[in-house]
Amino acid sequence: MLMDLFCLVLLLICIYTFRHYYFTFNRLFGKQRHPYVDLESAAWPEITVLIAAHNEEAVVADIMKALIEADYPKEKMTIIPVNDRSTDRTREIIDAFAEQHPLIEPFHRVGGKPGKAAALKDAMTLVKTEVVLIFDADYIPGKALLRQLVAPFFDPEIGAVMGRVVPLNVGKKSLTRLLDLERSGGYQVDQQARMNLHLVPQYGGTVAGVRKSALEEIGGWNENALAEDTDLTYRLLIAGWKTVYENRAECYEEVPERWPVRVRQITRWAKGHNQAMVSYIGRTAKCSGLGWFERIDGLLLLGVYLMGPVLLLGWVLAVVLFYTGAQIGGGLTVLALGAFTTLGNFAAFFEIAAAARLDGSRQRIRLLPLTLFGFTVSLISVSHAAWQQVRENTYGNLFGNHELVWDKTERSRTAPVLDDALSPTVPVLRESV
Amino acid sequence: MLPWAPLALTTVTAVLVALPVTPALYELWKRSDASPLPTSRHDGRIANFADVLQTRLEPLRPQLERCCAERNVSRASLAGMEILLVGTDKFDFDLEQTQGVSTLMIGAEAQIPAGKVVDADVYADGPMVLGEKAALRAAYGCDDIILGENSTVLRWLHGDGNIYLRPRSAVYGRLSAGHAIHLERGCAFQHMHAPEILTVNSGDTRALATSAPHACEAQKDIKDIEENAGRALAGDQFTTSRPRLRVEGDFSLPPGETLDANVIATGELHIGRGARLLGSAKSYKDTVIDEGACVYGSIVCGGTVWLGPRTFAAGPVMAENDVLISRGARVGSLDAPTTISSTGANIAAGCRLHGTVWARVRGNIEA
Repeated sequence: MLMDLFCLVLLLICIYTFRHYYFTFNRLFGKQRHPYVDLESAAWPEITVLIAAHNEEAVVADIMKALIEADYPKEKMTIIPVNDRSTDRTREIIDAFAEQHPLIEPFHRVGGKPGKAAALKDAMTLVKTEVVLIFDADYIPGKALLRQLVAPFFDPEIGAVMGRVVPLNVGKKSLTRLLDLERSGGYQVDQQARMNLHLVPQYGGTVAGVRKSALEEIGGWNENALAEDTDLTYRLLIAGWKTVYENRAECYEEVPERWPVRVRQITRWAKGHNQAMVSYIGRTAKCSGLGWFERIDGLLLLGVYLMGPVLLLGWVLAVVLFYTGAQIGGGLTVLALGAFTTLGNFAAFFEIAAAARLDGSRQRIRLLPLTLFGFTVSLISVSHAAWQQVRENTYGNLFGNHELVWDKTERSRTAPVLDDALSPTVPVLRESV
Repeated sequence: MLPWAPLALTTVTAVLVALPVTPALYELWKRSDASPLPTSRHDGRIANFADVLQTRLEPLRPQLERCCAERNVSRASLAGMEILLVGTDKFDFDLEQTQGVSTLMIGAEAQIPAGKVVDADVYADGPMVLGEKAALRAAYGCDDIILGENSTVLRWLHGDGNIYLRPRSAVYGRLSAGHAIHLERGCAFQHMHAPEILTVNSGDTRALATSAPHACEAQKDIKDIEENAGRALAGDQFTTSRPRLRVEGDFSLPPGETLDANVIATGELHIGRGARLLGSAKSYKDTVIDEGACVYGSIVCGGTVWLGPRTFAAGPVMAENDVLISRGARVGSLDAPTTISSTGANIAAGCRLHGTVWARVRGNIEA
């Protein structure tokens, strides 16, 4: 029995290891797909940009400033900062911008269900355009980003688009440097390889866009979802809409600077992803509109946060089997070598190495051995999250019938980083950042 | 056992453990690569290089005006670059004079002699003419530019007026014009942009006059359909709610039919002769738009797109392989320029395109 379980763990580890190697080799040597990146001239559609903000006084000015300066026809653009029950100066800052810029139409939410998905759902009643872009308030989009995110919507099959997230506060702490590597691996290799291979790039909820008619077709935002991004990816996929990844649509974000913040972040992601797994694994497996590779990748993507506890289970089983005298042979070697390469969204070390090479950064690759710390923390956090979900064993929790909160990542930024962010001039990124 | 053996073993183990992390600790300490990855911060304009060159040379304008008044040639240094200021139209791009110069700033007409190779950037206030088999690194002309037969531009070329490419001339990299680009047979390009791009037979630059509407635009019934629905002819992809027609396998719109839908085919897609698709078309494999057919939305293709004779595509044309455009085809309009993007492009003479054409590997005008 234990041996069978151990073999199953090894099989899963091998599958995920192969998946990561395949992605990495594809990214390094395969044909790269950027089908929408060349779209320069077009009858650009009217768009609405939603900025999800909950107590974001330190950062919200930066993103509004950057969006105002974006290279997109202003007459075709509406910015809706979704201020969800903020108790700090967020409202005041947003209103000050709105007074100066008519394209900003604030939505101050004072009640209703908590959570980003619920806030976005309410804000959608104000959206009149077919293309909706979504940013979290701590992001700083570049000038061409909006057009890059809109371009894929000229493809009638595209329901959602995801851009690349690049950490801004890299040099602050050791943690931020490790997260920078991890993000590179996740986007530069994982997401782009899935794009290359026509698999399932993931909509990430920020630096992203969604087609309004597609969203309406699948029933709008799921306010009960812990991870509204993964939830949306799969509902679109099952409904026959594609999500695409735009590797060159890069946008700065702020990553956690303290380990407890990081642990809370990844715990939240794991719980949300696991919730989506429970909700969509069956429908994804049975979905007739998907190709086989797309379906397999969709299922594997759903299971990435389950690999943490599976890996821990494998190690426990290996120890138990070893001391009970069972012949586990090369299984231990597979476990040891494959273990670090299985955890989906945390980017295996060779993915990070490949990403660093693709990004042209040389010295940061030296930090590669230290990613083991990040890996260990992630492993424990996601395992703990899964254990909590199983222990509570409430379907209500797994399926989201519990009280949701706006569980956002704690910001480290204490003031705007763009020069004169509160005045209508061209922003310049400060060198010290 | 030797008394120092445990100590030696511990030391060796410690060294073996520390060795792989030493570069990491060194990097943590030195922080030599701790800045954010650079993201693209420019607006992606094709004429970006030209704009930068013009801005950079602006401080030398009074000096150039003096050269023009005195009709002479002089040298200047600007931010470590050697710049040759040319105030006469008799300048013959002599190798000795241009040696070590990074930019030529010409205040008059620039006549680059046949066969001459200029490895500096050229800026010309007046018209620019590149002789037969001449080669340039990059150039910005404030007026019209004519590239002689078999001439080559290696990096980029921008003209504020019209650009004429004579047979078998080639512009690698970026090619952009403020008004129009005229390309003759056998020309090669990669990335070009202009309000109007005309492919013409040699000496027949009047082919497809700009005022002539395409058959699809002139068709009254289509106009009526569009007007009744309260839409503009192009650019309504995002304002009109159309059914999404997803087809497993090949899709074919019969000749002469009109379909108001967005079509997605997992196989090949074929729009029959004279047929009209009011929405967008996507195919996982090749797309064929037959003679006289019109697509008012975008064309997205996982294979090769063939635009037949006298076809019209209002929206972007994006192909993962090649785009083949036949004589008389038209893509985009003056009011609504659009993009053709592909790995390779082959365009026949007699086509009119508006906006951007991207051939990531190579684009050709049919010889």
